[in-house]
Amino acid sequence: MIAGKRGRIILLEVAMVIISLIVIIPLLVMLLGSFKTAHEASYFNLKLPSEWHFDNYKKVFEDGKLDIALMNSTIITVMSSCITVISSALAAFTISRKKGKAYNVLFALFSLGMIAPFMVVPTISLLKLLDLSGTYSGVILVSIATSVPWSVMIFTGFIKGVPREMDEAAIIDGCGPYKMFFKVILPLLQPVLVTNLLIITVGVWNEFMIPLYLFNSASQTTMPLTVYNFFGQYANQWNLVFADLVMTALPVTLLYILFQRYIVAGLTSGAVKG
Amino acid sequence: MKSKKVDFYPKSFIVPAIAIYGVFFILPTLVGFGFSFTNWNSDNLTNWFAIKYNGIDNFKYLFENENFNLALYNTVFFALVTTFLKTVIGLLLALGLNQPLATKSLLRGVFYVPNIISIIVIGLLFSSIFSMTGMFNQLLESIGLSRLAETNWLGDPDTAFGTVIAMEVWKASGFSMIIFLAGLQGIPRELYEAATIDGADGLKKFRNITLPMLAPAFTIAITIALISGFKVFDQVYVLTNGHSDTEVINTFIFRAFSAEQYGRASAMNMILFLCIAIVNLLVITFLRKKEVEL
Repeated sequence: MIAGKRGRIILLEVAMVIISLIVIIPLLVMLLGSFKTAHEASYFNLKLPSEWHFDNYKKVFEDGKLDIALMNSTIITVMSSCITVISSALAAFTISRKKGKAYNVLFALFSLGMIAPFMVVPTISLLKLLDLSGTYSGVILVSIATSVPWSVMIFTGFIKGVPREMDEAAIIDGCGPYKMFFKVILPLLQPVLVTNLLIITVGVWNEFMIPLYLFNSASQTTMPLTVYNFFGQYANQWNLVFADLVMTALPVTLLYILFQRYIVAGLTSGAVKG
Repeated sequence: MKSKKVDFYPKSFIVPAIAIYGVFFILPTLVGFGFSFTNWNSDNLTNWFAIKYNGIDNFKYLFENENFNLALYNTVFFALVTTFLKTVIGLLLALGLNQPLATKSLLRGVFYVPNIISIIVIGLLFSSIFSMTGMFNQLLESIGLSRLAETNWLGDPDTAFGTVIAMEVWKASGFSMIIFLAGLQGIPRELYEAATIDGADGLKKFRNITLPMLAPAFTIAITIALISGFKVFDQVYVLTNGHSDTEVINTFIFRAFSAEQYGRASAMNMILFLCIAIVNLLVITFLRKKEVEL
């Protein structure tokens, strides 16, 4: 009986490992391909490169102007995700603590942002009116606006689980509202804060539609946009295309590997129970 | 005597979030809804007062346009099919990786990784895999299906949309898996122990404990998959650019935008919004009812 159960577990383990190859193999083809010659890469297989061409990356950086794209993506991602997370933590705190119709309406308004599609033309027209067209600020503000609803939702779910006694203790100790939030509540929100920061960071980094519509000069490209431009330029040189793909995917993948346990923990405590 | 009361949950906390969200999301959304009944075009992009009301002309044009009807149909089809597949596959992966496997943490990471990577990256990777000489055809060839191996998966109208769907499911099933794993970990072990004592077998335990306890996870996984399914854009844009009968609403909007038909693009956005709102309302009402019943 015990042996039977262990046998089943081993069988399941083997099956899951085989299934995971469906995910691993394409990614491996991309990674290996980025070190090959154009000819070798065009076979799209799992053979190791006959010679490791690290200079593919150098070429991609120089010809594809990846340094500018990397900087643009970093500025936009860091600014958007930090402002989103802080502003939505603040908003979620008051919304989930206060009672009254107005706060339910506010919550519903934020929920609306999750289902309403991004309105391209009015947004562009608005940015033109505000003289923010084609600027970092424009892209950052729009990215924040589209991320805030999700962020508020995840925070609200979590904050409902933080006992009010915490607030009361802080108030008795003589904290004002700001001190209470930043010194007492925010540290308690740490797990969901990290999850949120990760999810928003990944989302903004990978965003394609917003910079595609809102940026229009070559110096304003972001990493995901380089992929498309690069492919148009080097359609037959898959080694270079793969190198660009790896460069776009690498930063967020590393970030995820470093912090992955927070994602599961944060989703468990926030989203699913909330 | 009236003392000044300190509000410990100040309204000012809401201001930054609602200000940015209000100006850069709600306002354009409302403007878009209003201007979907106008002849908005490049001549009056920012001169909002010069835009002329033209009733339901935009909508009439769209619903009489065969290509738009195909885009609408494709979008709904994409949303429903990918949601179904992501939910089933995500659940199966979660059930498997909730067992005491030696490699479970590693495999959870592996299945989630495609979620982290930009769809543009994955799209180009898939366009290499599904090209005529790509890995997929090589695989078919090696297992003896050489007739199938001559398919142009992304160029043939019969297979292109299926390939786009396959990519989305490949990419996003890991997200549903994480939601279900989180749900599974919230089920108290005592329930299973009690059921074992009562003599319930594996299947019975799954039907009577696991599934009902996972109801909230189902609601979240399905809702999120539906919303992102309706908003499909990057996937089609990078894989087929809307050719080979793979047009969806958002690629159609992109084309209307390029043609400077802004009123029409806004009308499409409104149709898309209504689709998402109606389908989600139906699904959430249904799932919440199920949650209570279970």
